[in-house]
Parts: sequence; structure tokens; C-alpha cells
Amino acid sequence: MDFFKNIGILLTNSKYMGMLLEGLGKTLLISVFAALLGLLLGTLVAIVAIAKDSKAMKLPKWICKIYVTIIRGTPMALQLFIMAYAIFAIRGFPQEITAIIAFGINSGAYVSESIRAGILSVDIGQTEAGRALGLTNKTTMMKIVIPQAIKNVIPAIGNELIALIKETSIVSMIGMYDLTQAAKVIGAGNNMASYIVPMSVAACFYLAIVYLLTFGIKKLEARLRAGDKR
Amino acid sequence: MISVKNITKKFGDLTVLRGVDCEIASGEKVAIIGPSGSGKSTLLRCMNLLETPTSGEVWLDDKLISDVDPYLHEEIVAVSATCARSVQAGVASEQAVDEIRKKRSLGKWEGSAYKNAIKEYAAEHGQNINLARRKMGMVFQHFNLFNNKTVIENLTLAPIDLKLKTKEEAEARAMELLNRIGLADKRDEYPSKLSGGQKQRVAIIRALAMDPDVLLFDEPTSALDPEMVGEVLDLMKELANEGMTMVIVTHEMGFAREVADRVLFMDEGHIKEEGSPEELFKNPKDERLKEFLSKVL
Repeated sequence: MDFFKNIGILLTNSKYMGMLLEGLGKTLLISVFAALLGLLLGTLVAIVAIAKDSKAMKLPKWICKIYVTIIRGTPMALQLFIMAYAIFAIRGFPQEITAIIAFGINSGAYVSESIRAGILSVDIGQTEAGRALGLTNKTTMMKIVIPQAIKNVIPAIGNELIALIKETSIVSMIGMYDLTQAAKVIGAGNNMASYIVPMSVAACFYLAIVYLLTFGIKKLEARLRAGDKR
Repeated sequence: MISVKNITKKFGDLTVLRGVDCEIASGEKVAIIGPSGSGKSTLLRCMNLLETPTSGEVWLDDKLISDVDPYLHEEIVAVSATCARSVQAGVASEQAVDEIRKKRSLGKWEGSAYKNAIKEYAAEHGQNINLARRKMGMVFQHFNLFNNKTVIENLTLAPIDLKLKTKEEAEARAMELLNRIGLADKRDEYPSKLSGGQKQRVAIIRALAMDPDVLLFDEPTSALDPEMVGEVLDLMKELANEGMTMVIVTHEMGFAREVADRVLFMDEGHIKEEGSPEELFKNPKDERLKEFLSKVL
């Protein structure tokens, strides 16, 4: 069983493990900051999208609509290339930041739709009850509607985060050294000369991250659902 | 206390209220009855502006809480550009004003004098709706307790957030009210753990926790199981006996008869008949009311 022997070699070889961990670090770095950027952008866009129609909101609403349409309608790899080779094609510009911005903007478009649906899913009676007590629209949103909306959107946001983590693997296409790229380099002829071993180990790393994330989301959801009957 | 002046309400092509006037005096209990779709809930919701009237005005204690309706004010119509054009064409100014009000012929643009007249009127008589709503409690058909808050938080959220009471004062008042309805042991439960009747009674005391001057009830027992209707009506009767001003949209004719000082019968967006419960239920004059009563009594 060469496969298991080679896995043993890989896991005990400090050079190979160092390469994998370096790649893993970069994958996590991009994922975490892109997710934060995506959540921020997504929330902003969702709030603009559900705001009442008025003259002042016309342009922001239009911009948000175009943003969501374009980002959801074009491939992620293409968006990443445009960021890396056109918009941030500056010598010495950190590739990590390029990737974070590209993935954050992409994620924001999907997150905004989830959050918008979540806010709309909260019974209008909740808003009416808040307003009828004399609370402002903002207070009603912040204290009553959004906390309930968050509970509803967590599963969808969780899905989006999982997709985001795995999608960051395409940064190798602009020459970045992430977990996937590390596995590829280790498997190349001048190293282990076997792709299946490092690729399997990298797959396990991804699986572990996603599993931990899923677990965390379940816990969070359970805590937020304390007030529900279901 | 509340005056509703010539209110209309349209939802797209559907006209729900077709010019309704009514006055609610302090301490009065008014029941609004009528077939479904007659506009009774919409009228109630216009009183605290949960629905914005298409035209007409709502006043609370001599303060205008809705937008200014120019057609209700001769002096505003008189400075409009349309009026100025008529006067220029040789029409007497009073006649021009009358004609505009009758035909409702004001356009989108009526000049800056007109705009300023509306602004000045609103500044002089108007009141912020959020301030007005603190004085008008509302009880909904579907309770609308805040699902993400416990019972005690439901009762104290608004008084604390609006800085009407400190946390201690608000909680003391909330406990007093909870004791009154016998639900003090539910203070830390979430609304989903309460029965329908309990929810509605908590919703009523949530409105009371704001120390309102008037309570608006929108079919408060329609969503309840029959055996829970009694406990809610009993609480409402208690409040009525204490002298609370109440406007109640209801299908409970027995309750309207017993508690109301005045009953309004609505049909097709109009108040078709109003009067004391005795006259209205015993000697209905309007044909639609007779038909309606024969079905529900």
C-alpha cells in the first residue's frame, strides 16, 4: 500500500507539511476577510434593496441592482482575473488583498439576496407592533426585525461561507500559493511525483474546515432559536 | 380626542374608504362593526397612521398627525396656482376656491406660495407621528408580540427605549400589569410558549405599559379559540369600566352591545349608520345594517 505509506511520509516530512500549512494559512486568510467583507457589503445592499422607494434612494437602489446582477451573472474566475490583471494590475500590489476584494465583492452579492429574503420573511406584524408603540423605523429594524431575520438567514449564509472557502481554491489561477496550489506543488515531479497523496491530504484539510464551520453554525442557530417552539 | 376628517384610502385601484368622518371623545368606547371588506380595520389603522390615508386628515388632541389635506383648508386652496389662474380668468376668488375643492382639481405643481402655506400649517398644527403613537395603544388581531423577546422584554422595550421610564420603573410597572392578568410567572417565557388568550392579554398590557390615552383594538378576538375569547373580553371590559378611551373593531356583537357607548356600522367604505347600541341593534334604519344584523345575531 504505497498510498498510505506516502501519506505517512508527507505528514511527517516537515518541508511538505510546512508548504501545506503555509497554503492553508493563505486559504484561511482570504476566506475570513472575504467573508467579513461579503457580510458587510451584503447587509448594506440588502438594507438599500428593502428601503422604501423614494427619490433619494433611486440611485443607490439602481446601483445595488446592477451590482447583484453583474456579480451573480459572471464567473468567479473571470472576476478574479479582472481584479488581478486589470483593476489591481499594479506591480508590488499584494495579491492577498486583490483576492480578498474579489471574493468579498462576489460573496456580498449572494449574501445580500439571502439577507433581503430573511428580512422579508419576518412577519410584517412585528414591524407594525413596534411602530404602533411609537418606536422609530430604525429601532424597530435593529431590535425586532433584524434579530429575527438573522435567525432565518443563518443556514443560507452558512451555505454561502462554505461555498466561499472552497471557491478560494481558484486563486492558484492567478499564481497565489494557497492550500490547493501547495498540494499541486508537492505532487509535482521534483517533489513527491504523486498527485493523489497531497491532493487527498489537502481535501481532508478543506473537509475539516467546512465541518468545523458547519458545527459552529448549528450551535449558533440552536442558541438563537431558543425562543422558538419548533 | 381623535378626529378623522374626510378620509379616503385607496390600495391601487381598490377604494377601501370613501370619505369617512368621525370623532372619538375622551373616555368614549366606540365599537366599529360591519361586514368584512367594509373598511373598518383600515379606518382603525388610519387612526394611528399604520395606513397612510390617501386624502383627509387625522387629528389627535388638536394636533394634526397625518399630512395636510389642502382640500380641507380654504386658505391653502386660495393661494394655489390653479386658483390664481381661475381668478385671472375672471372668476370670483371664493367661487374659484369652492370649485377647486368640489372638483379636487389641484395639480402636482401649485406654486411656492401654496407649498409654503402647507408647510406653515403643518409646522403650526402638526405633531410627529412617533410621539402621537405613544399615546395610542394598538392591539392586533394576531397579537404581534415580539417573538425574539421574553414577555417582560415585550412589556418594557418601548418605555425604556423611548426613555419614558427607567429600567426599574418599567419593570415594576410591567410586573404590576402581569400580576393583574395573573401571568406574573410567565415573565421570562417567550411568546411562543403562551396560549392565544395569554398572548392577546400580554399584547393588551404591552399597550397599557405605555400609559396611553386611547386604545385601538383591531378584531382582538378573531384569531382566538372560542374558549379563550372570554378571558380577553373580560380584560377589555375591565379597562372600559376604568374609563379608558377605546375604539374596537369587532365581530363580537354581544360585547359591542354591552361595552360600547356608540356603535359605528361600516359598509363599502362609508359609515352607514351610527348610534347607541340600543338604537342600532334594536331599531336599525339602514337596509344593509338590517341584513347584516339578521346574519350575525
